[in-house]
Amino acid sequence: MDWHQLWVIVSAPDNVPIVAMLFLVPFFAWLGFRQALANDRLVVQLEADPKLAKTHHRKTWPWKPHWARELHVWPYLLRIEFLATLIVTVVLFVWSITLNAPLEEPANPNLTMNPSKAPWYFLGLQEMLVYFDPWIAGVVMPSIMIVGLMAFPYLDSNPLGVGYYTWRQRRVAISSFLIGFVTWIVLIFIGTFIRGPGWVWFWPGQTWDHNFVPFEVNQDLPDIVARWGLRFIGFQPWKGLFGAAMVGLFFIVAGYLTHKLVTRTDFEKKIFQRTSLLQYSVFQFFAITILWAMPVKLLLRLLFRIKYVLVTPWFNI
Amino acid sequence: MADNVANEQLEKRAETAEPDPIADSSMSRALLITSILLILTLVWSLYDEIFGQRPWKAYQSEFVASYLEHLETLKKAAAKPEERNEKAIRETAEYKKLDAAYREATEKVAPRVKEIGARVSEIDREIGDITDPFQEARAWIASKIYQLETTASESGKESVRSSIEDKRNESITVAFTQKDGSIKKEGVPYKQLEKRYNDLRDEKARLNVELAGLTKESGEMLRKREDYLQNQMSGLTEQAVDNIIKGTNAFEYRIRQINVAGGQVVDRCESCHLGVREPLTLTADKMGDEKAFVSHPSRDLLTIHDPEKFGCSTCHGGNGRGTTSVEKGHGRYKHWLWPLYYKENVQAGCNQCHNADRVTRMADTLNRGKDLYYQKGCVGCHRYEGFDREADALASARQTIKQLELDRATRLREMRETREAAEKVTSNEEARSLLNRADVVLPQLVSQIDGRIGELDLQTKYLMKDQKKIGPNLKEIKAKLRKEWLPVWLRDPQAFRPGTKMPSFRLDDNEIRAISAFLWQSAIDYVRIADQQQGNVERGRDLFKQTGCVACHSIDGNAINQGSQPVGGHFAANLSRVGEKANFNYIVRWIHNPRQRLAPYSPSLRRDLTPDDYKSKNLAFLFDDDHSKSPLDGRELQVQNMTVMPNFRLSEQDARDIASFLMSLKKGEPRYPDASYLDDASLKQEGERLVKAYGCASCHEIRGLEDEGRIGTELTVEGSKPIERLDFALLTEDAMRGKDPITGGERSAWYNHKGFFEYKLRNPGIYDRGKVKSPEERLKMPNIYLEEDEITALTTFLLGSVTTSIPESLRYKPAGAAKQAQDGWWVVRKYNCMGCHNVLIGEDPTLAGVAMYQDADGKEQLPPRLTTEGARVNPDWLLKFLRDPSLAGPQAAEKLAQQIARHDAGAAQPSAVAGLTSQPGANRNGVRQYLRARMPTFDFSPNELQMLVNFFMGASVQPQPYIPERLEPLTGDEQTLARALFTSAAAPCLKCHMTGDPAHDARATAPNFLLAPERLKPAWTRRWLIDPAFISPGTAMPSGLFNRDEMHGRWVFSGPTPPSFQTYDKDHVELLVRYMFQLTADEQRRLGTGGAAPSAPAPGSTTTTSSLDRAIRRPTSRVNGP
Repeated sequence: MDWHQLWVIVSAPDNVPIVAMLFLVPFFAWLGFRQALANDRLVVQLEADPKLAKTHHRKTWPWKPHWARELHVWPYLLRIEFLATLIVTVVLFVWSITLNAPLEEPANPNLTMNPSKAPWYFLGLQEMLVYFDPWIAGVVMPSIMIVGLMAFPYLDSNPLGVGYYTWRQRRVAISSFLIGFVTWIVLIFIGTFIRGPGWVWFWPGQTWDHNFVPFEVNQDLPDIVARWGLRFIGFQPWKGLFGAAMVGLFFIVAGYLTHKLVTRTDFEKKIFQRTSLLQYSVFQFFAITILWAMPVKLLLRLLFRIKYVLVTPWFNI
Repeated sequence: MADNVANEQLEKRAETAEPDPIADSSMSRALLITSILLILTLVWSLYDEIFGQRPWKAYQSEFVASYLEHLETLKKAAAKPEERNEKAIRETAEYKKLDAAYREATEKVAPRVKEIGARVSEIDREIGDITDPFQEARAWIASKIYQLETTASESGKESVRSSIEDKRNESITVAFTQKDGSIKKEGVPYKQLEKRYNDLRDEKARLNVELAGLTKESGEMLRKREDYLQNQMSGLTEQAVDNIIKGTNAFEYRIRQINVAGGQVVDRCESCHLGVREPLTLTADKMGDEKAFVSHPSRDLLTIHDPEKFGCSTCHGGNGRGTTSVEKGHGRYKHWLWPLYYKENVQAGCNQCHNADRVTRMADTLNRGKDLYYQKGCVGCHRYEGFDREADALASARQTIKQLELDRATRLREMRETREAAEKVTSNEEARSLLNRADVVLPQLVSQIDGRIGELDLQTKYLMKDQKKIGPNLKEIKAKLRKEWLPVWLRDPQAFRPGTKMPSFRLDDNEIRAISAFLWQSAIDYVRIADQQQGNVERGRDLFKQTGCVACHSIDGNAINQGSQPVGGHFAANLSRVGEKANFNYIVRWIHNPRQRLAPYSPSLRRDLTPDDYKSKNLAFLFDDDHSKSPLDGRELQVQNMTVMPNFRLSEQDARDIASFLMSLKKGEPRYPDASYLDDASLKQEGERLVKAYGCASCHEIRGLEDEGRIGTELTVEGSKPIERLDFALLTEDAMRGKDPITGGERSAWYNHKGFFEYKLRNPGIYDRGKVKSPEERLKMPNIYLEEDEITALTTFLLGSVTTSIPESLRYKPAGAAKQAQDGWWVVRKYNCMGCHNVLIGEDPTLAGVAMYQDADGKEQLPPRLTTEGARVNPDWLLKFLRDPSLAGPQAAEKLAQQIARHDAGAAQPSAVAGLTSQPGANRNGVRQYLRARMPTFDFSPNELQMLVNFFMGASVQPQPYIPERLEPLTGDEQTLARALFTSAAAPCLKCHMTGDPAHDARATAPNFLLAPERLKPAWTRRWLIDPAFISPGTAMPSGLFNRDEMHGRWVFSGPTPPSFQTYDKDHVELLVRYMFQLTADEQRRLGTGGAAPSAPAPGSTTTTSSLDRAIRRPTSRVNGP
C-alpha cells in the first residue's frame, strides 16, 4: 500500500473539491433521505387521522396545539441562512489562506503533461472518452444529458411531492436522478484517484509509475463472437449488423427492466396511467441511453475488456 | 398586526408543554461561535496578508538588527588606539602636517570668505524681498504682451501698449527687511526694480565665483588629508561607518526589485539578500550566522555583470519574482523550470551566455567541465555545438563540394545546349545573344565555381589536418601492439592503467573476444615498419624528463626518479606500463613523428590506400602535407594521424633512446593468456556489430568505420530538456522520494537534472537497474571512472547547456579582440598549450607542478609565460614561429627537400617498409635554445595558425594588422652611450642572453638579442626593461634597472653611468631599446668577446656595484626572460 502516493493525490489543491465531495454527497443524501422518510411517516400519520389532516401543520412536524401556525421569514429562516453564510465564509477564508491556486509552469507545446487531466468538474466527461468515441462521449452524450435534464419537468406527470422532501411519492424521480448523479461522481472519482500516467487504471494506493505496463488489450464484441466460430461476424456489413442487433437487444432489455421498475407499486401504476405515450417513450429513451448505457458500457469495458459493441465505418459504440 | 401575532405566539408558547422546535430554540450560541471563528479567520487572513505571504519583512528586520550590531563592533574597533586605525593615524606627523596645511590655507582666506558670506546673505535677503512683487508685475506685463501680439485692430493694440507703458512706470510697493529686522515699505518704479533685481543677481554670481577661487586651495588640502587617512586605514573610517549606520537606521521596509530589459527580468532577490551589494564585505558569522545576508563572493563578477543591468536570476536561476517563501524564490518546486543552481553548480549559469567560450574567466568548474567533456572523449559520442567543429565543418564542406560539382556539370551542359540552340535560331540578334551566353557568361560562371571548389578542397585539407580523435588509431594496432594484450585491455582498462581515458564498456567474455578479433583483423597489415636498433635507456630517461613529455603524459615517479607518485599531466596517457603492451619499432616511429601514418586514407574512396595504388600510377608510396592528394582521384587524403601529439623534432637517435626507455617501463614481465582467436575470421562479423553498437569509432580510427556517426544523444541543450524526457526508468520513485540508488540510504529528492546527470556519470548503466532488457537494448554509455569533483564539473557544464531565457540584449556576443580570444582558446585547449605555458592568468602550467621544476634552477627551465604574448611579439614573427618553432629557416627546408628526394628513391621498393621521415626544422628550440623542454612543432593548419596568432593578439587587445613602430636611428654619440649601458657591469645583458656562441649559450638563460627586431614590439620592450617582474613574476630578468627621474619625466639607469651621460637628457630606456633593435650580429660578437672585460665600470666602483645590487631586485626564484 503506497500511502505516499495516496497522500499526493488527496493533498493536491486541485483535488480538494473531489475529496470534499466524497463526504458531502453521502452526507446530504443521508440528510435528504432522513427528511424524506420523516415526511413519509407524517403523511401516513395524517392520512390515518382525517381530523388531524384538516388542521394546520408545518411540514415534518405534525402540528401540536399552541404552536404558531405559520412562522415569519425574519428571523426564523434568515437567521439559519445567516449562520450558513458565516460557516461558508469561514471555510472559504481558511481554504484560501492555506491552499494557493495550483499554478503550473508555462505551457510547453512540445511536451504534454502526463497524466493530463481536465479540471475536476470535467473529469467525468474525460473518463467517458475511455468508453466511447470522442464524438459520442464528447458531444452526443453530453447533449443528450442536457436535453434530458431540460425535458424532465415535461415528462413528469406526478402531481405530488412538490416543495417538500419525500421518498414514497417520488421514488422514480429520485432514483433516476441518483443513478445519473452517482455515476457522474464515480466517473470523477475514477478520473481523480484511479487514472494515473497514461490514463492507466491504478488502484488507490498503487504507485503511479510512469513505466507501468498494463495488460489492456481490448477487443470489439463482434470480433470476440467471430472467434467463437461465427467467422463472418468479423467482417462488415455483418459486423455492423451484429452490433446493431446487440444494441437493439440492449434497448429492449433495458426498456423492459425500466418499465418494471417504474411500475412496481400501485401508486406508480397510477402515475403511469396519467402519463402519455409520448412522455413515457421520451423518458424511456433518456433512461436507456444515459442511465443504463453508461454503467453498462463501463462494466463491459472494465470487466470483459470489450472495446466496442457496434462497429461501423463511421462511428463506434 | 405583527405585534398581535408576536403576542399570540408568546402566549401560546407559555402554555404549551412541548416547545416549538423552530420558534423556541435559540441559535445565539451557534451564531456566537461562528462569529468568533469568522473574526479569528479574519485576523488570520490579515496576518497572512501582512506577514505570512511576505516573509521578506522578517528577513529585513533581522538584517537591520544584525547589520547594526556588526557596524557597532566595527565602530568600536575603529575607535581603539591600534596601529592603522583612525585615531592612530590622526596622531602621525604626516597627518598633522597635512592637517596644518589645510588649516593654514583656510585661515589665510578666512576674512575675505567671511566678508563675502555676509554680503551674499544680504543680497539673498534683498532678492527675497523683491522677487515676489517684481515677478507679479512681470507676469502681468508678459500676459499683456501676448494680448498685444494677438490683438487685430490697431486701436486695440494701442490701448494695450499704453497700459503696458503705464504699468512700467507705475511704482510698486516693496517691503524691504532692514538689518534690525524691521520692515520698511518703499515704492519703486517697475523699471528701477527690474534693474535692481538683475544687478543683485549678477553681484551674487560674481561673489560666488570669487569664493570658489578662494577656497580652492583649502579644498585641495582637505582632499589630500582625507585621501591620506583613507589610504592608511585598513578598514573604514569612523565617519564612514557612521554614515552606513545612519543609512541603515533609515532602512525602508519594502520589496527591493531589479527590473531590466523591458520586464523580462524582474528580480526581487535583494528583498532578503540585502548584503549582496553592501560596501562592506559581509560574511555569515558577521551577520548572526544568516547565510542570506552575505555579500556577493566576487565583486569582480558584479562589476562585469552589473546587477542593475543583469538582475540575479539571469545567472543564478530561481524565480526572481517569488517572494512568498524561500522555496518559491529559489524556484525549487515542481513547476519552476529554472531553479536556483546549487552552490557547487553555480557556474552553470555562466554557460548560458558563455557557451561559445572554451575558457571563461572566473569559472574554473565550468572550464574543467568543458576540458573533461573534450578530453574524456564525451564529444566522440555526444555532439555538442562548438566542440569538434572540424568534423562538422568537414562534412559541410564535402557536401558543398558535391553540390558545386553538380552545378558545374549543369553549367557545362547548358553551355553546349545554348550553343546548339544558337545554331537553330533564325534571327541574328538572338543567335548573338545566345552565343554570348555560351561563350562569355557561362565559362566565367564555371570558372567561378572552379575557384570555390578549389578553395573548399583546400579547406578540407586543413580540416582533415585539424580533425583529431581522442583515442589512438586502431588501424595501426598490428604494428603497434602485442596481440595478446588487446583482450586484457578491453576487459578492464582501469586495471591496467588507472585514470585512463578509455572507459569500460561492461563487456562479457564473448563480446571481448569478438571485438578484439575484429579490431585485430581490420588493422593494416600491408605496411611493415622498419626495424630500429635499441637505444640508450638512461639517455632516454633524461630526454623524457627534460623534453617536456610530462606536460601532457603522466608516468610513475619511480621511473624518472621523481618520487613514488605519478608525475605529470593528465592530458595524455599514463606511460608507466608501455613496455607491457607496445612494439619498440612503432614507438620509435611514433616519438619521432606521431603524425606519420602507415597508410593514407581516402575519404572519397572510403578506404586506406595501399602501396599498389601508388605503384599503379608509377608513384612512390609517399604521403605527407605536401603530397596529400590521392593518386587515384586527385582528392585530398587524410595523411596524418588524428592525434594532437606534436612533433618534437628529435633526432632519430633521441627517438630510439626515449622509446627504449619507455619500453623498459613494465610492472613485471607480463603473462597474457593465449589470444590466437584474434585471427578467427568467424568472430569478425559479430565484432564489427559490437564495435558499431558501442561507438568505438567515435574515439578511434577503425578501418571501414571512418564514416560512423555519433551514437549518443546531442547534449547542446541537454540542461533544458524537460525532466520528463530524462529516463529515470525504475529509479523515478527513488528520485522523487530521495533514496540514494547507490548506497540505498536516505537523501534529498533528486528528481531533477542535477540528480540525473550526477548518477548517470557516477554509474552510466544505473538507469538500467532492475530493467529486463536484451543486450542490444541496454544503455551503452561506458563507465568513465570519474572523481566526485569531475562529476560536479561535468554536471555544471551540462546544467548550463540550455536554450537560455536570458534576453537577447544581455547575451555575451564578443566582437573584435574578444572574439579572437574566444575562438583561439579552442585551439589552445585542444593542443594543451597550458601544459607548458601560463596562458590564463592564475592557471599554472602542468610543468610548474612537477617536482623538478620547483627549485631555482628548475624554474629557470620553465617555458615562458604567455599572458602578455600578444603585446610582446610581432604577429608576423609569431606566425612564423608557430609554424616552425625551431626557426631553422630556408636552409632546413632545403635539407628537408633533399631528404624527401632520398626517401622517394627508397620508397619505390616493392615491399612497403615505412621508415622514419625527415623532420621539419632543426633539432632545437628557435628562441630559447637554453631550455631543455622543447617547443614542439604542432603542424597547425593555416586556419589554426591564424586563430592562434589572433588569439594572442586578441587576448592582449592588440590592433591588427600590426604596423611596427619606427625607431629613430642612433647617432654616433648615442651608439657609444647605449653600448656603455648595454655592457654595464651592473647589468651585463650578454651575461644571461644568448649570443650564438655555443660555449656562452650553454649557460645562457635568455633569448638572443638578434631576434628582437623581428620578434618584439618596442613598446613592450620598454615596459619590460623598466619592470620585468610585473609582466612575468619570477622572471630571471632583474627589476629596478632604471629609476624614474620625475624632474625630466624620464627613466635613468640606476647603475653607475660614465660621465658622458651627464649631458644626455633623454630617456635611457628608450635609448637601450633603440640600441637593441638596431644591434647587429657583428656588434654583438664584438661585445660578447669583450664582455669578459667590461669597459664601462669606473675604477673603484665595487661599492657602487654593491649598492646597485641592493637597488636592483633580483628575484630569488627565477623564470626565463622574454
